[in-house]
Amino acid sequence: MDPQLTNIMRLLQFTDSTFPVGTFSFSNGLETAGFENIVTDKATLRDFVKSQALQAAFTDGIAALAAHRAFKREDYPAIVEADRTLILCKMNDEARQMLRRMGKKLGELAVKLFDDSIARQWLADIRQDTTPGTYPVAQGIAFAAAGISEADLFCSHQYGVVNMVLSAALRCVRVSHYDTQEILYEMSSEVMDLYEQVKPLEIGEMHAFFPELDILASLHEKGNMRMFMN
Amino acid sequence: MAFDYQLHQTTSSSGVPEVDFSDRREMAPYLDLPQAMYVGAPGKHGYLRLGFEIDPDGKSILRDLDRRAPLIVQQALYFDKGMPEMPCVYILSSGGPNVEGDRYQQDITMNRGSFAFVTTGAATKLAEMTHNYSGLSQHIVLKEDSYLEFMPEPVYPCRHTRFISDTDIIIDPSASLFYSEIFMGGRKYYNGGELFEYDILSVCSHARRPDGTPLFREKFIIDPKMVNPRQLGIMGKYDVFANVIVLTSKAHADKIYEATTPFIDREHSLACGITHLPNDAGLLFKVLGMEPGPVKAVVREFLSKFRREVKGREVPEEFPWR
Repeated sequence: MDPQLTNIMRLLQFTDSTFPVGTFSFSNGLETAGFENIVTDKATLRDFVKSQALQAAFTDGIAALAAHRAFKREDYPAIVEADRTLILCKMNDEARQMLRRMGKKLGELAVKLFDDSIARQWLADIRQDTTPGTYPVAQGIAFAAAGISEADLFCSHQYGVVNMVLSAALRCVRVSHYDTQEILYEMSSEVMDLYEQVKPLEIGEMHAFFPELDILASLHEKGNMRMFMN
Repeated sequence: MAFDYQLHQTTSSSGVPEVDFSDRREMAPYLDLPQAMYVGAPGKHGYLRLGFEIDPDGKSILRDLDRRAPLIVQQALYFDKGMPEMPCVYILSSGGPNVEGDRYQQDITMNRGSFAFVTTGAATKLAEMTHNYSGLSQHIVLKEDSYLEFMPEPVYPCRHTRFISDTDIIIDPSASLFYSEIFMGGRKYYNGGELFEYDILSVCSHARRPDGTPLFREKFIIDPKMVNPRQLGIMGKYDVFANVIVLTSKAHADKIYEATTPFIDREHSLACGITHLPNDAGLLFKVLGMEPGPVKAVVREFLSKFRREVKGREVPEEFPWR
């Protein structure tokens, strides 16, 4: 079999919404944005998703690429540094919980999928609480271990963020699946530019300015709405 | 464990620390030198060092003061009716707005048990710029059981402003800090309005324990040419943004968090949110609004929760001229 086809299959597997732990949903604050009449239609949903994608690109995206590169040069301390720095820079409490829960789950899956000492070491350190175990860093390790390129990792990461919000939108915003697919298709054409912006950034250059998203996340964090985790 | 409160900074020939952000990627387009007065020229390189401590009579005083123009601090005043024993300091600037090529450094040290309130005398205006940028470096050290309320007036960027700041905080686990910043979108009513017409604002705050343990790092870069701040999720319809960092014990932080209710007030176009910082460092509180007055009022209300919890004291009504 063409190894390129194997990589495509693995990319699809790692990007699927059921990966790594089956079906669950995070709305990333969309539930509150819908309730507050901030996201009400396709246009506002598109802007909301764009902000989510940008926020993720310049924080999680940088960490994922750093972990991928560190794995390839067998630099385990750099993986831990990316993991710790991401938690230091992730201001929202629920977002930190989400990243750590999903990261640990992917770490557990990674040691089953790959016979790899770095993946084993990382999971052991998560269990001993010496590294936080964030999802983007887990993605960096898993994609590198599977031989998938960092550009493909970035696309998969962006797809995951966008698709998660759009899937939630079908249940809490008055939009159709035509609307969400059109948004997804449109955003795919922007991912290359975004990757080029994020690619040169070092782990210490993470940044985010999304105060309206932060406030929505806070309302969700202290509120009672729980159709989705944040 | 040896504690390290040293700032590890380079000193220029004029005797004040170097302030240089030329290694920051986002400032790369703005490194051309000013055509007027050079970077670091007298009057363009402000320095301020404030050191508070408890005197032999048990009074919190401003013991250490060093300053270079255009930054001015004259003396501490004791005007807070809720805490009349607390020294209050106004930071003034004799130079008017921050202009291109300006560099500022402000170092504040709270020695064991001391407490203080530090603010600015008026809003900080960041002038229109054609060359270079204006930079601010801050170092805030809080030793055991110290307490600082740092609450400057809003910052106003103008068209083509380029501004970068870095705030390095070292805080003992027993100390408490209330650190607020308010950023206007621009001069809203000047010449038809120039909201979000600045070139760049880059603001970074980070904290660590005296033993070096990092607590959090928040950086935001607002570059309106790259991403429209009006986008939903960023500023949306709002014009004013306040960011408040509270560093205190977990017990205090949990109570302040419980006492604070985030909201979106559509009638008054005002919103706020709160969350816990990483590593049980404290809280992060954000406010969005249309005008500085209501945003300042929300920040002050949050300050009152902080002071009540940490000091058991009330924040008095704001002066009518503020």
